[in-house]
Amino acid sequence: MQVREFKPLPDQPAPLSSTGVIAWLKNNLFSSVFNIIVTIIIVSALVAVLPGVFDWLIFSANWSGSTQADCVKDGACWIFIKAWSQQIFYGSYPDGEIWRVNLSLLLLTVVIALSFTLPTRLRNKIAVPAFLFLPFICLLFLDGSNIGLKPVSTDLWGGFSLNVLIAAASIIIAFPFGFLWALGRQSDMPFARSVSVTCIEFFRGTPILALFFMGSVMLPLFFPADVSVDKLLRVWIILVLFMSAYMAEVFRSGFQAIPQGQYEAADSIGLGYWQKTLLIVFPQVIKISMPNILATFVMVFKNTVFLLVIAVPEMLQVIMTALSNSNWLGGHAVEGYLFVGFIFWICCFSMSLLATSIEKKLDTSHKN
Amino acid sequence: MSVDKQNIESTSDKEIIAIKDMNKWYGNFHVLKDINLTVKKGERIVVCGPSGSGKSTMIRCINRLEEFQRGSLTVNGVEMIDDVKNIEAIRREVGMVFQHFNLFPHLSILDNLTLGPIWVQKKPKEEAEAIAMKYLERVKIPDQAKKFPGQLSGGQQQRVAIARSLCMSPEIMLFDEPTSALDPEMIKEVLDVMVELAHEGMTMVCVTHEMGFAKKVADRVIFMDGGEIVEQNTPHEFFDNPETDRLQLFLSQILQH
Repeated sequence: MQVREFKPLPDQPAPLSSTGVIAWLKNNLFSSVFNIIVTIIIVSALVAVLPGVFDWLIFSANWSGSTQADCVKDGACWIFIKAWSQQIFYGSYPDGEIWRVNLSLLLLTVVIALSFTLPTRLRNKIAVPAFLFLPFICLLFLDGSNIGLKPVSTDLWGGFSLNVLIAAASIIIAFPFGFLWALGRQSDMPFARSVSVTCIEFFRGTPILALFFMGSVMLPLFFPADVSVDKLLRVWIILVLFMSAYMAEVFRSGFQAIPQGQYEAADSIGLGYWQKTLLIVFPQVIKISMPNILATFVMVFKNTVFLLVIAVPEMLQVIMTALSNSNWLGGHAVEGYLFVGFIFWICCFSMSLLATSIEKKLDTSHKN
Repeated sequence: MSVDKQNIESTSDKEIIAIKDMNKWYGNFHVLKDINLTVKKGERIVVCGPSGSGKSTMIRCINRLEEFQRGSLTVNGVEMIDDVKNIEAIRREVGMVFQHFNLFPHLSILDNLTLGPIWVQKKPKEEAEAIAMKYLERVKIPDQAKKFPGQLSGGQQQRVAIARSLCMSPEIMLFDEPTSALDPEMIKEVLDVMVELAHEGMTMVCVTHEMGFAKKVADRVIFMDGGEIVEQNTPHEFFDNPETDRLQLFLSQILQH
């Protein structure tokens, strides 16, 4: 019998009507009578509103000057933000020492950058320990009294740098804590399990505002009378515990996504419990949980503005102080709150872009 | 070995696995009923039977992936007792290959193979990598060492899984339906590796429905149904003169299609 040769057909380009700008517009904006009407309404609303908004924000805004009297035009008074910018970013940290705050922020950026660029083996040896030590290094450095720098009381720390640093310091410490709690929660040991479940459920079931009040009012009662624990330190502990509870639940969902076969394979080559957990389970849990880890981080970062209720001078608190300053009375609230919102949005949006890129990176390197 | 070897006198040095009156329940469901099985060193056993017959459960009991409630199990002279050290000692003697390969997706092929030698046997990295490459060559895929499991075909992944077990130089290899999740075109490459392994004298217990493989290499074929061993015999007798009607029915079902 004659054998027929099998020749695969070549690929052909997709028809033009299904790709390109015109096709996109037609499919997404003008696909039906209803969609056409909605599109027209939205476009005309934007045309009506946007020019006024941009005019207020940019074109008629007051950019130059240094006092309230310079705000003569109708638009936004950005001079307000300019005049208070040092407070907004650094709180009352002394002028000459601000390099210490900048250096802490720089260290944080460098460590994050390192954890992206280093090859895996070095990353585990350098970036991970660096991350864990970073909060304590920054603490020593910003405080200064133990390393021969000019001591700066934590009452003076503040502004946006405080929001960033305390959020970062919390999540870094909450990471191992949360992982241990998640392990404890699914442990066979009744003691470890009940302690973990209690901690997780308590901190997850309590509003962060209530926890901050408890931290500032109640926690000192548990310490001996002659020991006074710094307010910022207490807040940090509260944030770490709160965050750990959320991280524990994030990790738990990651644990559940790991197929049973992975545990069995690890068992069958004789790995012990900690080897199995750290070498097989942990890396895969991190990969699966990455979107939720970053979502939790964004949540904590935004929650740092709640610190204003116990009078920690974080960014929003500084703005509110500035608004009640006698030189700036008379309605700069919109500018102030917009600015806070904008800065937070920029940070959270870049984190979510970062998250997307991490997910892509993890996805291609070891797909299964 | 640091583990107390109980009953070592009663175990002849040729018997490498001894299962006595093993019973297992899932809740109230009696999955294994009075299993008695001894495997001699170098023996190749094939276990078959309908799904739900307890064959996978039985071999998973041998390296303690499953617990059993009654009876006793001795592997390579070590009696299985409820103790972590003891379980880890037995697992070091027993390699296992799974239906769904269970490679570690976040590690390269080479790292999958060296994990056990480095962390369990505490071998230096260079030595572990040399061993890994030796076994990768034996399963004929040394060129895939730097890739990740997700980049390999099913047949290649299963061969890596076999190599991963062999890296621990086990006394016994357990196979739990190693070809059931594979495309027809890939079954052969895995079976070839297993046949080669059998010819080298490895003790093997293999749950499979590849009857060709059973005829070719098995010393004994075991038929299980309803949680018990119904029949065991040499492949020749097993296929040509089944003693029970249940096995006759089973063989007629699987050989018909």
